[in-house]
Amino acid sequence: MQAVVLAGGEGRRLRPLTANRPKPMLPAANQPLLDHVIQAVADAGIEEIVLVVGYRRDRIQNYCGDGDRWGVDITYAVQPQQRGTGDAVLQAAPHVEDSFIVVNGDRIIDPQAISNVRDRHADTGDPAVAITEVDTPSEYGVVSLEGGFITHIEERPAPELAASKLINAGVYAFDPTIFAAIEETAHRGELGLPDAINAIAEDRPVHAVPYGGRWLDVSYPWDLLTVNETLLGEAPPPDAETATVHDTAVVADHTVLGADARVQPQATVLGGSAVGANVTVGPNTLLSNAIVLSDATVMGGTIVRDCIIGANTTVGPGTVVEGGRADVPLAGVVHEDVRFGGVLGDNTAVGGNVTVRPGTILGNDVTVDGGAVISDQIEAGTVISRG
Amino acid sequence: MCGITGYVGDDDGLEIVHEGLQNLEYRGYDSAGVAVQDGGLRVHKREGEVSNLELPTDVDTDCGIGHTRWSTHGEPTDRNAHPHTDCRDDVAVVHNGIIENHASLKTDLEATHLFDSDTDTEVIPHLLEDALADVDGNGDALVAAMQSVTDRLAGSYAIAATTADADGIVAARQDSPLVVGHGDGEQFLASDVTAFIEHTRRVTFLENGDLAYLTDDGVTIYNDGTVVDRPIQTVDWDADAAEKGGYPHYMLKEIHEQPQALRQALAGRIDDLAGDVDLDLGLDPEFLRDLEEIQVVAAGTSYHAGLYAKHLLEAHADVRVTVDIASEYRFTGGRDPWNTLVLAITQSGETADTLAAVREAADHGVTVIAVTNTVGSSITRAADDTVFIRAGPEIGVAATKTFVSQVATLALLAVRFGRERGALTPTEAAAHLEDIHRFPGAVQQVLDAEPQIEALAETYADADWYFFIARAAGYPVALESALKLKEISYVHAEGFPAGELKHGPLALVTGDTVGFAVLTAGADPEQTAHNVQEVKSRGADVVAVTSDPDRLEDVDATIPVPAIDTLEPVLANVALQLFAYHVADHLDRPIDKPRNLAKSVTVE
Repeated sequence: MQAVVLAGGEGRRLRPLTANRPKPMLPAANQPLLDHVIQAVADAGIEEIVLVVGYRRDRIQNYCGDGDRWGVDITYAVQPQQRGTGDAVLQAAPHVEDSFIVVNGDRIIDPQAISNVRDRHADTGDPAVAITEVDTPSEYGVVSLEGGFITHIEERPAPELAASKLINAGVYAFDPTIFAAIEETAHRGELGLPDAINAIAEDRPVHAVPYGGRWLDVSYPWDLLTVNETLLGEAPPPDAETATVHDTAVVADHTVLGADARVQPQATVLGGSAVGANVTVGPNTLLSNAIVLSDATVMGGTIVRDCIIGANTTVGPGTVVEGGRADVPLAGVVHEDVRFGGVLGDNTAVGGNVTVRPGTILGNDVTVDGGAVISDQIEAGTVISRG
Repeated sequence: MCGITGYVGDDDGLEIVHEGLQNLEYRGYDSAGVAVQDGGLRVHKREGEVSNLELPTDVDTDCGIGHTRWSTHGEPTDRNAHPHTDCRDDVAVVHNGIIENHASLKTDLEATHLFDSDTDTEVIPHLLEDALADVDGNGDALVAAMQSVTDRLAGSYAIAATTADADGIVAARQDSPLVVGHGDGEQFLASDVTAFIEHTRRVTFLENGDLAYLTDDGVTIYNDGTVVDRPIQTVDWDADAAEKGGYPHYMLKEIHEQPQALRQALAGRIDDLAGDVDLDLGLDPEFLRDLEEIQVVAAGTSYHAGLYAKHLLEAHADVRVTVDIASEYRFTGGRDPWNTLVLAITQSGETADTLAAVREAADHGVTVIAVTNTVGSSITRAADDTVFIRAGPEIGVAATKTFVSQVATLALLAVRFGRERGALTPTEAAAHLEDIHRFPGAVQQVLDAEPQIEALAETYADADWYFFIARAAGYPVALESALKLKEISYVHAEGFPAGELKHGPLALVTGDTVGFAVLTAGADPEQTAHNVQEVKSRGADVVAVTSDPDRLEDVDATIPVPAIDTLEPVLANVALQLFAYHVADHLDRPIDKPRNLAKSVTVE
C-alpha cells in the first residue's frame, strides 16, 4: 500500500521559523517533524510514499531525497498553491494506484495509527479515519460518532460547541474514489479533506478507528519546545559522531548534539536541549530547554532558556534569554501563561549583554545592538539600537 | 569521459546495467549501448542519450556490460556506439580512454578481420577474438586472452569485456578509472561508484595494470599475471546523492545541497580552541616552514578555486603562490623543487590534464598535495598526500557544490599552513575559522533568496551577452560565474578584472549587455564601484552583488549576501549559480547535459 504524506503547508502561526522552511521541516530532537512521520510510515511496513510538497519544497527534497535513508521510495507531487488538505491529496492522484494511507507530514504519530486504519480499510473496504482524544478539541476537527462510524467532522468549533474531546487525528485510509468525492466538495477556495469525508459519510460508512498513542502537534512556536522536550525525554537520538564536547563542559541527559556541534569549555547543555549541526555553544554558556538550529553561534557567557534560536543566528556574549512563562499575543489571541522564553529568527545578529524578555518573537534578519532589552514581537529586518 | 557499467549476478542484469548508465550520463551522452548474455550475446546501442536507447523487455540475463559515450575517435553515430564486437559477435567490449596504437593494430588485423566502426576501441574485440582462439577454452580463458591483448595496447583505457559463454566480465585498467562493487552473490563494475551506489557501498578501486575477473562467486584481481589483494573500502556517500530527489535537474539539487556539503567539508577539522586545523596531512613541518612557493595546478572550475586559494594562501600563510591551468603547467626554471609544493585540484581525481601536470611536477622531485572529491581516484595515488573536499557525488556537468567545497577546504589549508609557518597567531586563526564556520549558514541564506534571483534571471534572460567584473578574490568568482552561465545557457559570458575593462573589453559594452559586479568584502568593492560607473555610462545595466547594499548608488539591481569577510565573494558565486541556472532554465537548455561537454575530463 502507498502512503500520501502531506507536506505542502507553510505553518504561518509558526513564523518566523517557517519563513525559510516549511512547517514539516521544523526540527524536534534534531530531526524534522517530517522525518518522524516518514519513520512511522516506514515502521508500519509501507515502502512507497507520495510526498505532497509546495511551500519551500527545496528544503524537503534536500532532506528526503528518494527516501533511501528510511528504506522507502519517495515520489514527489507538487501542490502549486496551498488550497487545503483535500487539494493536496488530489495532487497525489496521478501517483496513486490503489487504496492508500494519508498522513500529515507535520504531526508526530506512532506506526500503530497507520497500521490501524490500514487494517480496518483492508477488512471493510470503507474509508477509515483515526480519531484521538485531546484536551483542546476546539483547535482541531471534532468528530461526531454513531456506533463507531463518523457522521461529521466539525473544523475548529467554538469550545462550547465541541461535540466531544475526540478529534480527527489526520490519519486516513481511502480507496481512489476519494478523489471524486474531494472534487465534488470543491465549493470554495480551499478544499478540506474533512469536507469530502462529511460528504461521503452521508452515503456510506466511514470507520472511526480509535488511536491512543503519541499524537504531537505543533501549532505555535512554544509547542515545538514541548514536542522537542517530549521526544528527548523518551529516547533522545544519539549525538552525531562529529559533535565535540570539551572536557570541562557538561551535557546532561535528554539532549542531542548535531554534526560538528561544538560545546566549548565550561558550557552547560541541560535537558530538553537540541543543538543543531555546525552550532557553536561558547564557553560558560548555559542552554536549558533550548532548540538551536543549524549553523548558529551562541557566544560565551550566554544564558538561553526555553528558547528557539534560528539558523545561522549569532547571539553575543553575556546575552540572557530569561525564559519562563509569559502571555503571548499571536494573531489576535493572547495565549496566557505559556512557557516560552522566545524565538530568535534565522540569520539574526544579537549583540552582547542583550536581555530577551519571555515571549519575545524576533523576526529573521534582525540586528540587535549590544545592551538592548527586547520583548514582544519584532519584524524581520529590523535594526534595534540601544536606548 | 565515457562511462562503463557491468553486472554479474542473479538480479535483472539488463536493468542494473541500464540504471548504471543513467547514473553515469554526466560522463558523456553522445551514444549509449549494452551487451548482455542471453543464450548468445545481444547488443543494443544507439546514438544519443541513454534515454534514447530502446531495450528489450524479454531479456533474462545475469551478465552484461554497458557504455555511455563522449566521442573522441569517430563521430557520435549508432555504428560508433559501444559495445563493439568481434567478427563473430561472440565478444563484446566497452572502453573509456584512447588506444594510441590503434591505427597500426588495425592495419595488422584488417587482413583477417572486418571492421564496423571508426573507433579506436574496435581493435580490442578483434584482438580478443584472436587471443581466445589461442588459449584453452576453460573458464578463465577470457582472463588470459585479455592479459595478452592489454600487453599489446598503448594508451589509456578502462575496458570491460564479456563473451557469449563466459562466466562473467573481465575488466582492465590503465590510466582511466574503474571500480568494482561487491554485492552478495553479485558484482558490479563501473567508471564511478555513483553507477551502483544504490546496490552496494563496498568497493575496490582498480589500479593501473590491474585485470579484474567478476563472476557470481566474487572478484579476482590480477596484476602482471599474478593474483593481487586490493582493499575493499566502504564509500560513505548517500545512495540518494546519485538521484534527483524531486528536482528537475541535478544542478539545482546540487546547488541546494551546498550548505550540507560545506558542513561535511568542515566537520571535525577545526579546533576552535587551539585556533588550528587538522587535515590529517603527513607533510613535514620543516618543509612547510621552509616552503618558498606553492604552485596550484587545475582545470576549469577547479582552476578558479585555485585562483581563489592564491588569495587565501598568500594572505594567511605568507607564501608565494602561482596558479597554472593544468595543461599549461611546466616545471620551468627559477625555483627549487625541494622548496616548492604543488597543489593539484580536481573534483573527479581523474582529470587527465591535472594528472599530467602532477607527473611533470613529480618528475622534478616536487611534493604534490591533491585536493579532490573522489576517494580512490587516480590523483590520490599520484600525489604524496590528499585532502578530500567531502562534497558527495556531483552529477550535474556544471560544477557547483564542489567549487564551494573546494574553496572551503582550501581556506582550511591556508589557515593550517599559516599556523605552521607562524604567519597567523592562534587568535587570528580562530577569527578566520569563525568565519569559515559561518560559511554553510551564510550559503543557506543566499539560497533562501532564490525567488528574487529567479526574477532577476527572467528580467535579464534576453541580453546580448553578459560580463562579470570584480577585483582581488572576487575575480576568480567573476570567472567562475561567467563559466557557469556560458556552460549551461550557451549565451556569451566573460569574467574580467574590473580594472581591465577600460583596457579593451569596454568597447563591447552596449545598452543590450548586462554587467555583474562582485562588490563584496575581499574584492576591493570601493575601487570596483568606479568601474561600475564606466559601464553604466555606456548604457549597460549593472547588477551588484554585495553585503552592503545601502552604500550602493546607481546600480539597476542588487543581490544582497551576508557579510562573512574573506569568503564573501564565494557567496556571490552561489547567488550567480542560481542566476545561471534560471537563465538556462528560462531558455529551456538541457541543463544537466550541456552540448559538447562532459564531466570528469579523462583525456588530455
